[in-house]
Amino acid sequence: MPIHLTCDGVKRRDVLKVGAVGATGLSLANYLRWVEAGELSAAKAQSAIFINLQGGPSHLETFDLKPQAPSEFRGSFQAVPTNVTGIQISEHLPKLASCTDKFAIVRGVTHTLAAHRLGQEYINTGSRPLPALEYPGYGSVVTKELPAPIDLPPFVAIPNTNQRPGFLGVQYAPFSTGNTPKAGQRFGVRGISLGNGLTVGEVEKRGKLLSDLDTAFDRLEGNSQLLNGLDRFSRQAHAIITSRRSRDAFNIDRESPAFARPFGESPFGTSCLLAARLVESGVRFVTVTLGGWDTHQDNFTRLKEKLLPPLDTGLAALLGGLSQKGLLESTAVFVTGEFGRTPKINQKSAEGGRDHYPRCMFMLLAGGSIRGGQVVGQSDEKAAGPQGEGFSPDDVAATFYHNLGIDHTREYHSNTGRPISIVRNGTVIEPLFG
Amino acid sequence: MLVTRGWMLASLYLLSGWGVTPGAFADDAAAAQESVRTRFQSATVDQVPDFRRHVVPLFGRLGCNGRACHGSFQGRGGFRLSLFGYDFKADHAALLNEESPRVDVRVAGDSLILNKPTSTEDHEGGKRFERDSWQFHLLRRWIESGAEYVPKTVDRLRALEVTPSEILFSGSDEQTQLRAVAVWEDGTREDVTPLCRFKTNDDSIATVDGEGRVQAAGSGDTHVVVFYDNGVVPVPVIRPVSERVGDRYPTVATATPIDELVVAKLRKLGIVPSEISTDAEFLRRVHLDVTGTLPTVKEVESFLADPSSDKRSRKVDTLLERPAYAAWWTTQLCDFTGNNDQQLNNVLPNMKGKQNVASQVWFDWIFKRVADNAPYDELVAGLVTATSRRDGQSYREFCEEMSAALRGEDGKSMAALDSMPFYWSRRDFRTPEPRAINFAYAFLGIRIQCAQCHKHPFDEWSKQDFQQFTAIFRQPTSSNVNNLTQIARQRPQIKEDLEQIMKELQIDQSLRGGKLRKELANQLVAGKTIPFPEVFVNPRAGRGRRGKGRRKRKASPVVARILGGEQLDSNSHTDLRVPLMEWLRSSDNRYFARAFVNRVWASYFSVGIVDPPDDMSRANPPSNQALLDALAQGFHDNGFDMKWLHRAILNSQTYQRSWQPNETNARDERNFSRAILRRLPAEVAYDALVMATAADGAADSMKDDLEGRAIALAAASGRYANRNSASFALRVFGRSVRESNCDCDRANEPSLLQTVFLQNDREVLEMIDRREEGWLDQMAQTHQLKRPTPRFSQSETKQRRGLSRQIRKLQKQIKQQKQDGQEEQLAQAQRRLTALRTQMRRLNAAAAGDRSGPGIKKEIDALAVVNAAYLRTLSRHPTDEELARCQTYIRESEDTLNGVRGVLWALLNTKEFIVNH
Repeated sequence: MPIHLTCDGVKRRDVLKVGAVGATGLSLANYLRWVEAGELSAAKAQSAIFINLQGGPSHLETFDLKPQAPSEFRGSFQAVPTNVTGIQISEHLPKLASCTDKFAIVRGVTHTLAAHRLGQEYINTGSRPLPALEYPGYGSVVTKELPAPIDLPPFVAIPNTNQRPGFLGVQYAPFSTGNTPKAGQRFGVRGISLGNGLTVGEVEKRGKLLSDLDTAFDRLEGNSQLLNGLDRFSRQAHAIITSRRSRDAFNIDRESPAFARPFGESPFGTSCLLAARLVESGVRFVTVTLGGWDTHQDNFTRLKEKLLPPLDTGLAALLGGLSQKGLLESTAVFVTGEFGRTPKINQKSAEGGRDHYPRCMFMLLAGGSIRGGQVVGQSDEKAAGPQGEGFSPDDVAATFYHNLGIDHTREYHSNTGRPISIVRNGTVIEPLFG
Repeated sequence: MLVTRGWMLASLYLLSGWGVTPGAFADDAAAAQESVRTRFQSATVDQVPDFRRHVVPLFGRLGCNGRACHGSFQGRGGFRLSLFGYDFKADHAALLNEESPRVDVRVAGDSLILNKPTSTEDHEGGKRFERDSWQFHLLRRWIESGAEYVPKTVDRLRALEVTPSEILFSGSDEQTQLRAVAVWEDGTREDVTPLCRFKTNDDSIATVDGEGRVQAAGSGDTHVVVFYDNGVVPVPVIRPVSERVGDRYPTVATATPIDELVVAKLRKLGIVPSEISTDAEFLRRVHLDVTGTLPTVKEVESFLADPSSDKRSRKVDTLLERPAYAAWWTTQLCDFTGNNDQQLNNVLPNMKGKQNVASQVWFDWIFKRVADNAPYDELVAGLVTATSRRDGQSYREFCEEMSAALRGEDGKSMAALDSMPFYWSRRDFRTPEPRAINFAYAFLGIRIQCAQCHKHPFDEWSKQDFQQFTAIFRQPTSSNVNNLTQIARQRPQIKEDLEQIMKELQIDQSLRGGKLRKELANQLVAGKTIPFPEVFVNPRAGRGRRGKGRRKRKASPVVARILGGEQLDSNSHTDLRVPLMEWLRSSDNRYFARAFVNRVWASYFSVGIVDPPDDMSRANPPSNQALLDALAQGFHDNGFDMKWLHRAILNSQTYQRSWQPNETNARDERNFSRAILRRLPAEVAYDALVMATAADGAADSMKDDLEGRAIALAAASGRYANRNSASFALRVFGRSVRESNCDCDRANEPSLLQTVFLQNDREVLEMIDRREEGWLDQMAQTHQLKRPTPRFSQSETKQRRGLSRQIRKLQKQIKQQKQDGQEEQLAQAQRRLTALRTQMRRLNAAAAGDRSGPGIKKEIDALAVVNAAYLRTLSRHPTDEELARCQTYIRESEDTLNGVRGVLWALLNTKEFIVNH
C-alpha cells in the first residue's frame, strides 16, 4: 500500500484506496464507525437537497425587494406580506409566501466572481475556486462523510450538476439522471433501471452464473484491495440493479396523485418530487437544477412568466411535501444561484434587464435544525451590497455542513498530499439555528 | 577522547583553510564534532551555537515551525516562523522583531523563546523542554552571545552522513540507534543527531522515535528518513518475511540483469518470486500492457499452439511494431505532458466539424515519434525547446507553412513540424510558476510545488531553489488567436507581415474570440493564408525589469538556476531552455531518465520502483535503488531508445511472473516478486469491451486499425466532457483529465459506477446485442437462432439521434418563422417536419416489432460457443468445470441465444476480464 506524504509531515495511508474499498461515498473508517455505532451523527439533518438556480436569479425580484428604492432600481414587482409577520417577498411567489415559516432567507450574501462558471464553482463547493485545485462539491463531501444504504446511489443529480468530486476522486461523483421525470410517467436512470427488456429473474440467473465463474482469483482474495473492492462493488451494483427500492425510488409515478399534484408538471416540479422521493428512500444528497435566470434582457416578463411560477410551485411543494412526510427535520435544503443581479436596471431591451452582480445576492436554507420564517442578514437600501459585512458563500456553506453534522473545518488531503479544509474560509451563521 | 580529537582536527582544517575533502573521513564518524546534546549539557557552557546549524534545526526538532504551530502562514500567538525552516533571514527577523521580540538580548532569561517552551510563561503549545536541559542552554547561550545570524558566504550542507546506512532486523524486539553527521562546505563535521527529525515511511514495519531509535515492528521493508537542514536521507530498513534468507534462499534463475537486481533484493527479504506465468496469462498481459488491446481469438490460439521457445520475445517484438503500441504510449505521454484540450482552445482557428484540432496535432506529433521510435530525449527536446518558427523563417513563411499543414495539403502535416510549441501555448501555462511545476512533474517526476511557499518538507528544495528554477521559464512567450496583434505590436519584424496578411484576408477587425477563430478557419479552408499565434523566446525577459510607477530603479532579477545545479546566465544564452535541455539529457542528471524509466516500469507492474511514480523526492526513495539506477543508466547509454527499455523489461522473468502468490510473497506489492493485479486503464477497458463483443472479423481489424479506438483519442480534460459515445464510460473508468500535474489525474481505482456500468448500462447491453459486427449476432446467424434484438442498433441510434436533432432545429425555426410571419418558409418547414416525424415513427416501429416474438430453444454446439466466448474475453480456454457450467446454462435457457448472451455478459463481468493479471 503506497504511503503518501503531506506537507505538514503527517504520513497517511492512501485515503483514496481506503475509500475505494468502502464503496461510493463510504470510506472504510466511516463504514466501520457506522457499523459499530449503529447510528450516523447527532445532527438532525441526515440528507440534503441542493437547488441550483443556474444563471444568477435577481434578488430584487424574488426575496430581497426594495419598494422604497428609486424606480430605476426598484422594478415593477410588488413586495407582498408572507405568512410570517414582517417578512415580505415578491408578489409572484404566492405559494412560497404562504409557507415562509418553513425556510430562512439569507440576504446580503456577497462575493466577487461575476462569471457564471467561476460563480457556479464557488457556490457549489463553498470555496472560492483556485486554479490549481478543484474543491469537491457539497454532494461529494456529504457522500464521503455520511454513509448510505448499499442498494442506493448516495448522490443523485437531477438531471445533472456542476458539483464535481474534485480532489476527492471519482468514487464520490454523482449519479446523474441525465433527464428530468415527466409528471405521472415512469422514470428510470442510466444503469439503474433494468435495460433492454431484462427482468429481475434474468439478472438473478446471470448473477448466479457470474458468481460461479468468477473464481479465478479466489486464492488471492483477502489480500488484494482491488479484488475486495471489485467484489464489494459487484454485490452493491447487483443490489441496486435488482432492488425494488432503488427502482422505486426513481419512479415518481408510484407517488400518490394527491401528494404529487402540488408539484405541478414543470420539469423543475417533477424534479423536486423525485428529490423528495429519493431522500425518503435513503439517498443522501440530491441536486436539482432550474436554469434560465440570466435575465440580461426582459427581466420582468421572463421572471413573471417563465421562471418564478415553476420555482414557486416546485419549491413550495417540496417544502410542504417533506414536512408532510416528516422529512423536513432530517433534510437540509439549500437554494442558491451563482450571484444576484445589478440593482440598476439596464436598457438593453425595451423593458430592461439586469446583469451579473455577485456583490449582493440571496440564499435560502431550510430543514434540519434551521429555524424557518426568519431573515438573516440585510442588504443596503438599493440592494447594491450587504448592510455591514454581509455573509460570504463560505459562511453559508459552513452553515449548511453544520446543519448536516459535518465539521466544515475538517481537513482532507488533495491528490498531491496538500491538506485542505472542506470549506476554506467559512463561519457558521449561528442565528439561523436560533 | 576520539570525539574530542575529531573536533580538534576539524578545527585545524578550518583554521588553516586546507581544501581537504571531508569525505576522506567519511568512514570515521569519530572525526566529527560531538553533538550539541553533550556540548550544551551543562549550565556553565561557554560555547556559542550557530543560528543556522543549531538554533533553526532545534526549532524544527521541537516542532515550533510546523504547520499547526508557528509555521502556520498566520503564525501563532503573534509569532511566525517559516514553515519547516530554511528561511533563516525571516526567522531571525521574527525572533528579533522590535514590536514583539521573542528574544531579549540584554536579559537573556526574559526571552520568550526560553520561557514559553519551558511553560514558565503560558504557552499554547505546552512544555517543549526543561529549564535545565541542553535545549535550554543552547538557546540561552545563543541569546547571551548576541542572538546573531551571520550568513556565511559558503555555507552549504555538503552531506548528511547517516549510520548505519542500512538496517537489517531479524526479530520484533530489535532496535538500533541512528547517528547523523553533518558535513559542511567548509569541511567542518558535526554530530547532529539530536537536531535531526526522523520519520518512518511505514510504521507497520519499523517505528522511529524523536531521538533516532529505530524499533522493528512487522516484517517487510521500508525506509526511515532523517532530516537536517536541507539534507534528507532515507535509510532502508529490512526485516525478512520468511526464514528463507542467506544460505536457505533457494536457487532462483536470473535470466536478465533486471532479474538479478530484483532477486538480490528479494533474497534479503526472504521472498521467493512466483513462477513464470502461463503462456495464456503472458499473452493477455503483454497485449494489454504494450498495445492497450486484447489479443484476438486467432492470436491466442496460434500463440498457445506455437511450440518454439522464443515465442515470447518474438511476440514482444511484434507488438512494439503495432500502431496500437504507439497510440497507447502517445496517450500516456500526452497525460504526462498535459495535452488538455480545454487549455488549448485559443491556439488554432475553429475548424468546422473538427473538434480539438490543437490537441489532435499534439497527439499526432508525439505519435509519429513514438511510432518511428525517435529517442526519448529528442522527443522531449521537441517540446521543451519548441519555437513556432524555424531559424530564419519569416512570419509570413511560417503562416503559409502552417496554413498548408492544417489544411492537410499534399505531403504537409503538422506532425512533421520540427517541434511541438503547443506545450508552451496552454492557457494555464503562460506564467513561469506553473511552467516550472509542470516541467518538474512531466520530465523530472518530482513535485516542487510545495517549495513555492515554503521549504519542501520531503525534499531538499527551498523557496529560493524554486524561484531560481522558475526564473528559467520567463523567456518563452506565447500568443493566442485573441492577442496576436497585441503581441505583434511589440515585435516590429512580424508586425508588417501580420498586417499584410490581415489586409489580404479583409477580416472584420472587431471580431474576437470564438467568432474570430471561426472566421479565420473559414478563410483557411478557402485556401487563404491566415495568421497563427506563435511561441517565441524573448531573450530579454528575466534580465531584470524596470519597476513600475514611481519606483523606476532597476529591480534585480532572480538568478536562473537549474534545480540543484548550475546558474544560467541569460546574457550568454539567448534561450535558457537549451542549457535546460542539455542538463536533462546529461548523464549525471538524477531525474530525467529515472522519471521515464520509472513510469514505464509502473505501467507494467502497477507500482513504480519509486511509487507514486511522480513523487521522486528524497524522502520517498525507490524500493530498489540499484534496479532504478541500472535501468536509467541503460536507457541513457542506449541513446534513450524507448523500445530498448520496453524490451528489457518485457523480456525479463520479473515481468513474466505469474500473479499466483506463494507463501512468502502473498503480501509483497513493492518488490516485484509476482505480477500485481490491476484494473485495466479506462481507454483499454473500453476498447476491450468493444473488442470482446465484436464479431470475429471486426475484432481482427481492431488489431491494426486505430479508427474509433479509445486509446487513440487525442483530447482530454475534466470539464465539459465531450459527448461522444465513449466519453461516459471513459469518465467512469477514470481517464486522465490532464489537469493537475499529477499522475493521479488518471484514476485506476474501481468504483461502484464502473460496476453498475459493466453490469447494466445500456451502452454495454447494446454493445452485446449490436447487429452490425456483434459477436452475439454472428452466433445467432451461424446457429440459425433468432437474432439479437437491440433497442436500436448502432446505426439506428445514430440515425435516430440525427433525426431528433433535425426535428428540434426545425421546431425552433418554425417558431421563429411564425413570429416573423414568413408564411412561405413556414409551410415548407412544416411539411419537412411531418416527413421527419414519419421517418422517426417508422424507425421506432421497426425496433419495437423486432423485439417482439419468442426466442428459439435449440440444441447447439455449446462447447465451441463457450470456448469462443472465453477466448474473446479472458483470452484463454475454459476449464472443464467452467465449460460444463456454461453449457448447462445455455442448455437450460428457454431462449438459446439468451443463454449465450448470459455467458458473454457473465464473462465481461468477471474480475478476470477487467483486471490485467
